Amino acid sequence: MARPGLNRRQLLSAVGGLTVAGSLGFAALGTGADALASGASTRVRYWNLFTGGDGANMVAMVDAFRKEHPGVAVKDSTLTWGDPYYTKLAMAAAGNRAPDLSVMHQGRVPGFAPGRLLDPWDMGLLTKYGVREADFNPVLWKRGIVDGKLYALPLDIHVQLSFYRKDVCRKAGLLDADGRLPTATSTDDWFALLKAARKQLKDGQQTLGLHAFDQNFSWWFFVAFYQQLGGGYFDDDRTDVTFDTDKATQVLEFLHQHVADGYTVVGQTDAEAFLAGSPFVWEGNWSVPYFSGEKVDYGAQPLPPVFGTPATHAESHSFVLPHQADRGGAANEGAHLLAAYMVKHATAWAGGGHVPAYLPTFQDPAYLKLTPQNEYSRPAMEHPATEPRIWFAGSTGTLAKRIGPVVASSNVGSAKPAAAAHRMKSVLEELLATRNPMDGRTAAQELKGTAA
Amino acid sequence: MTTTLAPATGLRPRTATATESARARWGRRFQHGGWFVTPFFVLYGLFVVVPVVRGLYLSLTDANISGDHTRFIGLDNYREAFRDHLVWNSLWHSVQFTLYVVPCIVVVALLMALIAHHITHLKWLWRLCFFAPFLLPSAVVGNLWWWLFQPTNGMVNHVLGIDTPWLTQKSTAMIAVVVATLWWTVGFSFLLYLAALQNIPHHLYEAAELDGANALQRVLHITVPNLRTITGLVLALQVLASLQVFDQAVVMYQFGPGPEESTRTFVQYTLEQGFTSYRVGYASAISFILFLIIAAVALGRMWLLRLREEDAR
Repeated sequence: MARPGLNRRQLLSAVGGLTVAGSLGFAALGTGADALASGASTRVRYWNLFTGGDGANMVAMVDAFRKEHPGVAVKDSTLTWGDPYYTKLAMAAAGNRAPDLSVMHQGRVPGFAPGRLLDPWDMGLLTKYGVREADFNPVLWKRGIVDGKLYALPLDIHVQLSFYRKDVCRKAGLLDADGRLPTATSTDDWFALLKAARKQLKDGQQTLGLHAFDQNFSWWFFVAFYQQLGGGYFDDDRTDVTFDTDKATQVLEFLHQHVADGYTVVGQTDAEAFLAGSPFVWEGNWSVPYFSGEKVDYGAQPLPPVFGTPATHAESHSFVLPHQADRGGAANEGAHLLAAYMVKHATAWAGGGHVPAYLPTFQDPAYLKLTPQNEYSRPAMEHPATEPRIWFAGSTGTLAKRIGPVVASSNVGSAKPAAAAHRMKSVLEELLATRNPMDGRTAAQELKGTAA
Repeated sequence: MTTTLAPATGLRPRTATATESARARWGRRFQHGGWFVTPFFVLYGLFVVVPVVRGLYLSLTDANISGDHTRFIGLDNYREAFRDHLVWNSLWHSVQFTLYVVPCIVVVALLMALIAHHITHLKWLWRLCFFAPFLLPSAVVGNLWWWLFQPTNGMVNHVLGIDTPWLTQKSTAMIAVVVATLWWTVGFSFLLYLAALQNIPHHLYEAAELDGANALQRVLHITVPNLRTITGLVLALQVLASLQVFDQAVVMYQFGPGPEESTRTFVQYTLEQGFTSYRVGYASAISFILFLIIAAVALGRMWLLRLREEDAR
């Protein structure tokens, strides 16, 4: 009987050899082969979540860094924002396979177990690379500090904006002498603007893109208007929910009225509708490069202060050091260098629509010339409305997941605003009593530093 | 080696030689087939048995995603799960989905198979059209139907001449997921039915025709009874798969729980607990609850089949 030229043992060892070679190959890809190939001595693995209009901007900045620092090879990875990003980051840090540097929303820092999943910044290294606390927005800098250590180096503040098309608003006679939209300071003012703009539209076009059914946007818009009414969430001791259901109802009624009166079409793709001729859209400032690229004549303001006090929803991108058991050495220093470069080159970053956390940028003529950034940057930074600083809050966190859908139900009219407000309060009560799975303590215990 | 020829009746005395010969027999059998099944057993052990045992252990702890500070807490997670209204709520959504989708799949797959079986012209095209959606990834299907169900510019409303907000109202949200799933997965059951149809002896139809049975009577009295076994299989496979519904709903509702949280399925809630709230222990416990439910369904089916076989004897 003819035998094949390869017996079982040979076959197994050949397959085994291939597997080993393959895994070495992959390992090499992940540990420094490309750094060696580029002739660089240090390799920095950097994860970020910028996939929108700001994504290309970040890639360009990393390329600029590479040119200036040929000794540091940056291996950057862009991952999908939201759950997928934070899950991967947490698991990488837990499994000791964390990148050297990554981006995180500041609101997620308290829940991301500083000290366990995150390492603190080395202030000596940051100073060496020219990062000084005095150059940063003090509110943002302080939000990055946990137990006296800096865990989140602020890059920017990003806000929800009210974008308006100048062509439609001009036809409706809404713009002032400078070609800007006057700020609406009451709900009546605001709906009068919408009503006037609607007259210019064709059938089927919506007046305002509101993301009425999106759980994240719904929650963010709520946060902004609720703060305009001066509403709070928890007492200082984090033992009681101080959520004001009357104020919340007022906000929910306001949001729902856009749908009820037909200014917003639920389910319409908001940004695309804006480009196609809708006069208003409420979107994050990361849409600036997208809209600008389409050559639309538009302006952008913070969300209108319809309840009197200006406030628009804000979060902040910051740089963090995911936990590595053996953090230190050249890669760690490279991570500090890269982060310092990014935060200081804030004018380039602001091109992506975000408001820089680095204050000297506001003296940079190139930055001041950016439109529509110069229309919204200062007022947005002066009146940020942020989620409560608590372990379950932050971009796409547990709070947004639980409470966002309740706001969305009210927006689209399937739940009454007052009922939704009570529902929101009970969710807050439930979450406040829940223990943080990372350390087994409730928010109150964490605040007081007591053990479980 | 005469022992191997002795019938394995179980009546033979258990002597040392018998044990030895059994071992020898096993050894030779293993030589023949063992090496072929070993990779399966190794992979099954590594990727099924080990994770299941580990998951069971985790479900008895308060493990978080970092794996630090894990304490053994006994049945606390299960106690909490029984009080957690979102567990019951999301379980109901998975069951509701199953109740809607399974009968639809059986009926539509059978109809499609009958069409593809009887049609003579462009047979391959029909088969391709019916089966092709099954090859798409769930993300594609979710996004596709998200577009189709859009209220103002979606094709569904355009074709029907209505303006139903399918995805954003509670009453139609689950129906939208069911329709997308039906379109996506019915091709698999269609194939099973098509194969089974080809096995029904043709003379039965000829005899019925001679006896004056019309087309509908032939389908009802010959085709459907002859497909009973395959219908049982389709039902079982679809129930087991539908209880685990997850990806298409998550994509269509962009990781949200749907209008008034009406499409949050059990697997989605498990994911939220494990990977948004980082409660790995609790997520393991609730996934074990689903495991037990699915195992009960599978065992129940086996028991029914056995009863039926005994009846047949």
